[in-house]
Amino acid sequence: MFVARSIAADHKDLIHDVSYDFHGRRMATCSSDQSVKVWDKSDNGEWNCTASWKTHSGSVWRVTWAHPEFGQVLASCSFDRTAAVWEEIVGESNDKQRGLSHWIKRTTLVDSRTSVTDVKFAPKHMGLMLTTCSADGVMRVYEAPDVMNLSQWSLQQEISSKLSCSCISWSPSSSRAHAPMIAVGSDDSNTAYSGKVHIYEYIENTRKYAKAENLMTVTDPVHDIAFAPNLGRSFHVLAIATKDVRIFKLIPLRKESAAGSSGPTKLQVQILAQFDNHNSQVWRVSWNISSTLLASSGDDGCVRLWKANYMDNWKCTAILRGDGSPVTGSSSQAAVPSTAGGPQHVLLQASSAGRKKAQLIPG
Amino acid sequence: MEKMSRVTTALGGSAISGRTMFCHLDAPANAISVCRDATQVVVAGRNIFKIYGLEEEQFVEKLNLRVGRKPSLNFSCADVMWHQMEENLLATAATNGAVVTWNLGKPSRNKQDQLFTEHKRTVNKVCFHPTEVYMLLSGSQDGYMKCFDLRKKESVSTFSGQSESVRDVQFSMKDYFTFAASFENGNVQLWDIRRPDRYERMFTAHTGPVFCCDWHPDDRGWLATGGRDKMVKVWDMTTNRAKEIYCVQTIASVARVKWRPERKWHLATCSMMVDHNIYVWDVRRPFIPFATFEEHKDVTTGIVWRHQHDPYFLLSGSKDSTLYQHMFKDASRPVDRANPEGLCFGLFGDLAFAAKESLISGDSNRKPYLGGDRRYPIFFFKKPDLTEQFAHVSSALSVFESSLESKRMDWFVKTALLYLLGGKPFAELCDHNAKVAKELNRPQVSTTWTMLRLMFSDPANLSTPGPNNISKLGNLPLMNSFSMKEMGTESRLDRSKGESRQDNIHLEPGNSLINSNNDENEETEGSEGQAEYMFGDAELDDDDLYSMEHEIQAVEEQEYTLPQEAFPLRHEIMDNPSVPEHLQQDKADSPHASGNEAEVMCLTPIESLSLIAISQPLFSPHLPSRFFCPVVREMLSHYAEQGDVQMAVSVLIVLGDRIRKEIDDLTQEHWYMSYIDLLQRFELWNVSNEVIKLSTCSAITCLNQTSTTLHVNCSNCKRPMSNRGWICDRCHQCASVCAVCHHVVKGLFVWCQGCSHGGHLEHVMNWLKSNSHCPAGCGHLCEYT
Repeated sequence: MFVARSIAADHKDLIHDVSYDFHGRRMATCSSDQSVKVWDKSDNGEWNCTASWKTHSGSVWRVTWAHPEFGQVLASCSFDRTAAVWEEIVGESNDKQRGLSHWIKRTTLVDSRTSVTDVKFAPKHMGLMLTTCSADGVMRVYEAPDVMNLSQWSLQQEISSKLSCSCISWSPSSSRAHAPMIAVGSDDSNTAYSGKVHIYEYIENTRKYAKAENLMTVTDPVHDIAFAPNLGRSFHVLAIATKDVRIFKLIPLRKESAAGSSGPTKLQVQILAQFDNHNSQVWRVSWNISSTLLASSGDDGCVRLWKANYMDNWKCTAILRGDGSPVTGSSSQAAVPSTAGGPQHVLLQASSAGRKKAQLIPG
Repeated sequence: MEKMSRVTTALGGSAISGRTMFCHLDAPANAISVCRDATQVVVAGRNIFKIYGLEEEQFVEKLNLRVGRKPSLNFSCADVMWHQMEENLLATAATNGAVVTWNLGKPSRNKQDQLFTEHKRTVNKVCFHPTEVYMLLSGSQDGYMKCFDLRKKESVSTFSGQSESVRDVQFSMKDYFTFAASFENGNVQLWDIRRPDRYERMFTAHTGPVFCCDWHPDDRGWLATGGRDKMVKVWDMTTNRAKEIYCVQTIASVARVKWRPERKWHLATCSMMVDHNIYVWDVRRPFIPFATFEEHKDVTTGIVWRHQHDPYFLLSGSKDSTLYQHMFKDASRPVDRANPEGLCFGLFGDLAFAAKESLISGDSNRKPYLGGDRRYPIFFFKKPDLTEQFAHVSSALSVFESSLESKRMDWFVKTALLYLLGGKPFAELCDHNAKVAKELNRPQVSTTWTMLRLMFSDPANLSTPGPNNISKLGNLPLMNSFSMKEMGTESRLDRSKGESRQDNIHLEPGNSLINSNNDENEETEGSEGQAEYMFGDAELDDDDLYSMEHEIQAVEEQEYTLPQEAFPLRHEIMDNPSVPEHLQQDKADSPHASGNEAEVMCLTPIESLSLIAISQPLFSPHLPSRFFCPVVREMLSHYAEQGDVQMAVSVLIVLGDRIRKEIDDLTQEHWYMSYIDLLQRFELWNVSNEVIKLSTCSAITCLNQTSTTLHVNCSNCKRPMSNRGWICDRCHQCASVCAVCHHVVKGLFVWCQGCSHGGHLEHVMNWLKSNSHCPAGCGHLCEYT
């Protein structure tokens, strides 16, 4: 069962993003009220706001944590055309006593000429890097050459895609067999431009990112995109929030010779699942840590959880309402639990072991 | 009253229509103004001064006021205003300090009417009185405001702001005699037109210049001001002290601000640098623009609502030499693209969800997906709804926690903590791990461990009756065992064909591929180390190979079919290993002359018992463990692909050299890295370190080698210890002496970071039980963290 714990966020406008840190004990929220709040989980499970500060002079669209190896570092991006990197400062004892912490701005990235719609840190093994994407369709890759100096970021690359970008995701794979990979989604509302998801891959020879794939089947505006945690897989799994939830499997086709690394890896794209159960725009997708569960939220105000059985058949396993009330009515038929037999069930449990009794829909 | 009635007739007489359109100007515009009946617009700039007619589909140039061969500087306009009462009357503010009026009713080409050259520097703003025909006000860079009566040749009064340049002057809508002036030093002054000696009121509105101000059109006494500090503030001027009632934070300095007609809370702004867009704000929701016009390519210099009672048409001029008419329905709505929800999975399976309250409160107002269309109706006939909808929004934040008893990543943490990865014999490790998995209710994992034990255990360690014998046996028993396996294989194949063909179909492509790989592997390895395999040279013939291939195939299928078919019997395997051994013994004793078919026949009843039961005993004691490597490799990949990298890595470590060569280094490294990353996420540092230590991957083991250098200073002379050893080469004393026992510390040395005294861990711990001061006697209150 899920227990909904409501938090008085006290943001003065819409909250646009929520983000857990690496260890799952801290949470950051950002809002149109131009502020970011940091929440710390106390021992009894309560979330306490330990910092709240004005970050931008426009709506803050996204907030994201860096790997703790680089310190307690947040990045935010905003309608005011900037992205910013923040670091928590410890040591001021009177703040500590009041349970507050102090965050200072380490840098402002001002290269964008339009609203910066997403910012994401690269996986740790790549060093301290981040990408931003903006409403005019430009994706930018920044790197902090010295991880101890958070105020110096160099712009490594700019890629213009002409379609307004809305979301970005790094492939989390740490395998040396996988080149660094970035997926960018576009929320351009013109369905005539097909391919709202572009995938870029790092080319060792040119030291640049180049387009590896364009998901032509995605023609509607994309609002969120998320690579699943890789966990030693040889392929990538990508979830996309558009008018429905889609899950893609990207299988890198191994190159025959190492010399052929001048171009991006060919990817075999398979669609694993596609759900329109939200019956409306889907805004967010998020993977759990073992990448066995996908959560999606849509304009219907519900969170749906998706899970694959042993044959990669994805099913809805739970529907959660924002206020924790059970979902009734029309949407319930969407959540017929997997009718897989006993042994298959065992396989499911064993391979993921993510056993979960959510607020299950009857039937 | 008279004015109002006239306006309504004007609006009623000619309902405005049009579309979003633009025209190219010859030069950048500095300001625009629209005539009262909203049919013409004047554009003024340094090199342009033209009147355009606003037609249904396009702008039509009506008149070029910039005449003469060498236009004087009087034509270089910083501002222009079209009189709202007298439709032939225009005023411009020239950059050379002149204030010029123009009479369109003049018959000559040059329409210039009056010229006032009283200001010494650029005139930033001219403003006609809203109801008084002949009264004109100007504000200049020189710090003065002047009021002109157009019937006279000179100004009637001069107002000195006593401060810096005047950026804007605006007559009040509410009060006949009052005007507001904004200044570069951040002040706003209110003046009475009859009292030029002193301002009525002054307040500091912004930090930095106040570039613009605008009175609310509906007599409210509200004044909006915009400044370089990127803010728009709305002041209530009816109270004694100007009171800030709204504050809008924009993203660039605010150059112009104009209240939207017929909309109490809306105002439009544009910026003078960086930002080329025009924003319409609802002051009640000051964080996000209600609407945005993004057409201009350069700074927008002038904005004006086309008709003072029509909220849908906005005109703008820009430095990019274009004049635009914007339709409100074509505006982009940042809110529509703004994400109303945030969602994130936490490490422990908890789910943080923030959503717009109206979305979760009820689904009555939920809209179906419209495929990219705007989500608001095109015309706002239901305007109250829309504005209500825009203002007053908030989000609810909640965290869904999986309830305590089923914390969903517990299995991972417990498994990581309880697994034994080394330090014991292989079979014990497997048994232990199998037990752990079983206790955590993960039967498949548990069975896998058991199978691994059976597959790879050194036969000597097993309690089977004759393992040693077998290893020393000649070719014949080996052949026997092969034929038995073949039987098993075939029977299983039969079954799979009959029963679970469907299940296997989706696995086929992968399998065939794997098989070909395996064949290669087997052959090469076989040729390398035949002695180990107990094959005689002569016996490595086609038959044997054939049977081996069958074997591989069978075992691979077993790997996939096991979980579905074999579970009911897993306890039997675990608890009662003697049964299969029995079986195996029987088999070994049974005569082989009867041929394969007979064997298959006699196997079929047993098969229904358990496949594992047969296969395990058949394989384990007799076969070299290398035999299983391809299977195990497949199994590990399977676990990894399923997301259980923990299992893959644990098996990899426990099996060690038995399997290491079978899996390419990149994959191994990938698994290790992924697992270590997971462990660190859960703050399982000890486990993570153990994994690093036990790993055989060079890239992983070196993770422990980084930043292991510690630079120390001598405790006596406080200088850095340069060379190795115990003696400081400067003061020739032993550096690391325990402060309690005064002996050199070898091994764990603990020290206080405040006074740098310390010593043996035990000694210091004992000392601190009874004392809080430094044992060295330095008086420091030591803190060991």
